[in-house]
Amino acid sequence: MILTGPAIKTAVKRGHVFIEPFDEDSLNPNSYNYHLSPRLLVPARGKMRWRKFEIPSEGYVLEPGKVCLGATLEQIGSNRFVTLLLGRSSIGRLGIFLNVTADLGHLGSRSNWTLELTAVQRVRIYPRMKIGQVSFWLTDEASSHLYGGRYHGDSRPVANRDRRILRRTRRS
Amino acid sequence: MILTGPEIQSALNRGDIVIRPFRKRQLNPNSYDFRLGKRCRVYTDHMLDAGRPNKTRLFSISEEGLLLRPDRIYLVNTEETMGSQVFVPIIRGRSSVGRLGIFIDITADLIDLGSINQWTLQLHAVQPVRVYPGMLIGQVTFWRTYGRRVQYDGKYRHHKSPVPSLSHLDHLVHHA
Repeated sequence: MILTGPAIKTAVKRGHVFIEPFDEDSLNPNSYNYHLSPRLLVPARGKMRWRKFEIPSEGYVLEPGKVCLGATLEQIGSNRFVTLLLGRSSIGRLGIFLNVTADLGHLGSRSNWTLELTAVQRVRIYPRMKIGQVSFWLTDEASSHLYGGRYHGDSRPVANRDRRILRRTRRS
Repeated sequence: MILTGPEIQSALNRGDIVIRPFRKRQLNPNSYDFRLGKRCRVYTDHMLDAGRPNKTRLFSISEEGLLLRPDRIYLVNTEETMGSQVFVPIIRGRSSVGRLGIFIDITADLIDLGSINQWTLQLHAVQPVRVYPGMLIGQVTFWRTYGRRVQYDGKYRHHKSPVPSLSHLDHLVHHA
């Protein structure tokens, strides 16, 4: 079952959902809108290399064919409900993907989520704009197995940290 | 929990789900197949901007179909008017359409409760591919909710789809 907006609000009050900062105006009927952090990782020359970039108030242009790593302005997570991260229809209508088929959050993960931004057409985005939404889902039973993985507690966009993949990439 | 096909049918009979027109043969074991509408909107500028209105062109897709180019986004309405005040709809492509490299939404699969409309699909093709009005393009699933329900009252509700992005309205509000 998916949490309604009022259920998300109650869960935040009870500490079952963590959204910081939380703004009631960002609640939807069955999701919560998150905003874009100004911090980006943009592709640099060379394989798997990134450059830190702060989006100025004039915005930043996403180019098709490249992945930029962004982050949610909010810290988001829950020990009790499963978080799904998605875009908004206003942003999808501009051809901006917020993730690349990796929408599922782990129970217990709490961070400024890294966004995998890709664009169909060139498009200008702005810091702190309303860019996507998260939904929260009931689980069958309470989990004692919470996420403590390599991306836990991230507060900025984080590039791939899977050393096995990195090694394989370097070898090829 | 996701509704099964028979549950979608009974919710429809009760009026808890709207699918107009409804054709029983489009009902799947746990979803309903919907069709591509005729109205298409494309942006006329190559460079888009989330902070201002972007110019668009609206046209009708002919029976010969529409060739989707990989470097453009195509906003097309669903043929059916769909929605629910009780169950949350989530849309996705059909596997037959996914196999052709066609996205029907751009990470925006979640529909608000109370958004009862011809939805605007965000078509994007990986390779050039031709689509036809009336073809079965996607499917909608319906999900049970937890908590008190409120209904969509957002900025797209009075528009006739396909509607271009109104993201700039958020932008202005945010900077006001």
